[in-house]
Amino acid sequence: MKSDIDSGAAAADSDKPRERRKALRIALAGNPNAGKTSLFNALTGAHHKVGNYPGVTVEKLEGSRFRDGREYRFIDLPGIYSLTAYSIDEVVARDFLLDERPDIIVDVLDSTNLERNLFLCLQFQELGIPVVGALNMSDEAKVKGIEIDELALSALLGIRMVRTVGTKGAGIEGLLDAIDETSRESQDQLKSIHYGEELESRLEPIQAALAVDGEFSSRYPARWLAVKLVEKDGNAFERLVEHKAGASIAQKAREASVWLEKHYGKDAEVVVSEQRYGYIRGAAKEAVRIVKKPSFSVTEAIDRVIMNRFLSLPVFVLVLWGVFELTFKLGAYPQGWLESFFSWLGGAVSGALPGGFLRSLLVDGIIAGVGSVFSFVPLIIILFFLLSLLEDVGYMSRAAFATDKALHAFGLHGQSVFPMMLGFGCSVPAIMAARTLKSRRDRIVTILVIPFMSCGAKLPVYVLLAAAFFPKNPGSAVMAIYAIGVVMSLLVALVFKRTILKGDPTPFVMELPPYRAPTLRGVLWHVWEKTASYLKKMGTVIMAASIIIWAITNFPVYKLSPSETEAVKTAYATQHPAASSDAVQASVDIAASEAAMEHSAAGTIGKFVQPIFAPIGFDWKLSVATITGFAAKEVIVSTLGILYRAPESEEGGSGTLSDALRADSHWNPLLAFVLMIFTLAIPPCIAAMATIKGELGWRWLGFEFLFLFAVGWLLSFAVFQIGSLAGLGVAAKAAAGGAL
Amino acid sequence: MMVSDAPTGAGFRVIRVTTGREVGKRLADMGFTEGAEGEVVRAGLLRDPLQVKIRGYDILIRRSEAKRIEIALNDAPMGAEAAV
Repeated sequence: MKSDIDSGAAAADSDKPRERRKALRIALAGNPNAGKTSLFNALTGAHHKVGNYPGVTVEKLEGSRFRDGREYRFIDLPGIYSLTAYSIDEVVARDFLLDERPDIIVDVLDSTNLERNLFLCLQFQELGIPVVGALNMSDEAKVKGIEIDELALSALLGIRMVRTVGTKGAGIEGLLDAIDETSRESQDQLKSIHYGEELESRLEPIQAALAVDGEFSSRYPARWLAVKLVEKDGNAFERLVEHKAGASIAQKAREASVWLEKHYGKDAEVVVSEQRYGYIRGAAKEAVRIVKKPSFSVTEAIDRVIMNRFLSLPVFVLVLWGVFELTFKLGAYPQGWLESFFSWLGGAVSGALPGGFLRSLLVDGIIAGVGSVFSFVPLIIILFFLLSLLEDVGYMSRAAFATDKALHAFGLHGQSVFPMMLGFGCSVPAIMAARTLKSRRDRIVTILVIPFMSCGAKLPVYVLLAAAFFPKNPGSAVMAIYAIGVVMSLLVALVFKRTILKGDPTPFVMELPPYRAPTLRGVLWHVWEKTASYLKKMGTVIMAASIIIWAITNFPVYKLSPSETEAVKTAYATQHPAASSDAVQASVDIAASEAAMEHSAAGTIGKFVQPIFAPIGFDWKLSVATITGFAAKEVIVSTLGILYRAPESEEGGSGTLSDALRADSHWNPLLAFVLMIFTLAIPPCIAAMATIKGELGWRWLGFEFLFLFAVGWLLSFAVFQIGSLAGLGVAAKAAAGGAL
Repeated sequence: MMVSDAPTGAGFRVIRVTTGREVGKRLADMGFTEGAEGEVVRAGLLRDPLQVKIRGYDILIRRSEAKRIEIALNDAPMGAEAAV
């Protein structure tokens, strides 16, 4: 119904004055790497609205341009190569075009690569929606000696063609003119590709049968659906169910496919593509001329080195190493500033408010909790900036080329490599970055193994324990944990490949775009896009988690009785005869906070769940730390700080905590190593789990939680029990050597 | 002959994609259709994946996909690079 009203209004448009016209809804579509994003930015300027397509996590961008009182509302579709149901992106684009029926489709075409780009363009035309072609990157085409006669091409295909250069904002007015002209035309003038007599004769009866059900064909263009059915498109057959004569049409379509396969000796879906390319070839012969072939290609020169069979993998490792060096070196400065800011803020709020629960909630709960995570934001932004730069330059596909063979053996994909590397920074953006993977199966596996990539928040835990219990070479202890994580991720992927996520091997068919100079605006746009959604999640989830953890560690309130206080004072004074009264008071405060923790809800929970952790050597304190660690992994360190009488300070805090842990009779290098392994493998923090839920849903999150918990527990159990049997739990030196 | 057997640097003409379904359809959609001209540009360490030029642009495919594309080699090598 909706589409009827829309087209009616569009037809009446030409009579009305311009100002009165309603907004034109224009879908901006095209192949990946055709410069769609920069053209979108050139068209819409700063008016953006970010949303999601219904039911999926593919982002939907909307923006408007105003000219002569008319609104052109552009909806950015994901970059796709075809309108099959091959990837989420294609399904999203197809559903949007069919269900929302925009007034016009602007197809962004890469002028240097016209044949393949027109392949998608002709499919848009079949949808019965008017199409305007933007011959983008026309400057690059000129350099490459490709001459396109856009008037001839327009006439041949029945699609207005306009030259544009999105990165420079050239050709925008002409494009809007073409949109105006096209919107004024009546829709029955629309042309459509001719597939050749044999195919057309088979399509005709199906098309006619589809048109019988008026309500159905108003929603699904008969021509397009007929082609899709002959192509044996599963999604098209599903839609056919709504047609009153659906069963008989399905039968007709299957017969047509069988006939075509006999006639051509090829699969029907391939035949349709071939006919389409044949039609394009014919048009290209008349409208495209290659005047000179460039003798030298910069891309080819660079790729001779970067994609050399022996060098591609080392170059990849080098690039990543550089990215991490830069991220952590540069990020350390703003990270330090933010840490000081939050500790200053905590101090200021402490000073401004009277003591009590409100102050405690603000300072110990929200500011400490959110602050500890926020200080990682600069690292994330720098990491995103560098990775966006690599992405925009075109290095992503080179990295996939270098790693696909190795990763494929473990059931991963060349494109899994970037999300996984992001995981060393933070799992939240890493899980979101897995969206670039086209197949759902690859995407699920990649997301499920990302928690094994030790994130930045786990690092403080490793550093504390390694410094305390492996003082000879703490660095290699930490490296060992990172390495175990990477190995685990590959093994787990392999297990998934062999068990729950078998599926068809997904084809690796990936365009290798030429290197392109990134635009600052484009890179910043990518960084902002990723950081904004990350910040939103952090702001909400971390805030809530901080409050909950604060509440369960502070309630119910427990205070030392006067006699207990006296006992602590006496005991301390006996051990330290020369202690000042301040030191005695400090020892009382520590004892009080420890007792409060033990009697709080967290302490009760810790004792309640302790039996689960007993087999891996954890007492109730470690059980509490494990639980509070779900807010953010570095909270494990601050929890241990509270529980082991080490007043935490910004500097040297870990040092004194190290001493406290070493002095505690329960601790030994084996237990420290078990805690490191456990921290590595158990489910990630709440923010990461919320992201998994957002990307894959509750069921996968539930599975991932139980799976990781089981893996972490079993691994820790094995290490602890075998280590204990070998007597490593006692001798510190031996454990350090043996466990590593 | 299949693309997977073509020597690096050799120009070819596609005869047909020997499979249908998702893989065959995708290969055809990306331009591997009868008569299309191409060239194997380079290969990875274990000759997998392959960089193939087709219809004037470059694409990466695995050997397993390359085995599904039947081709005929051109007589004269395209471009300056001879087979390695």
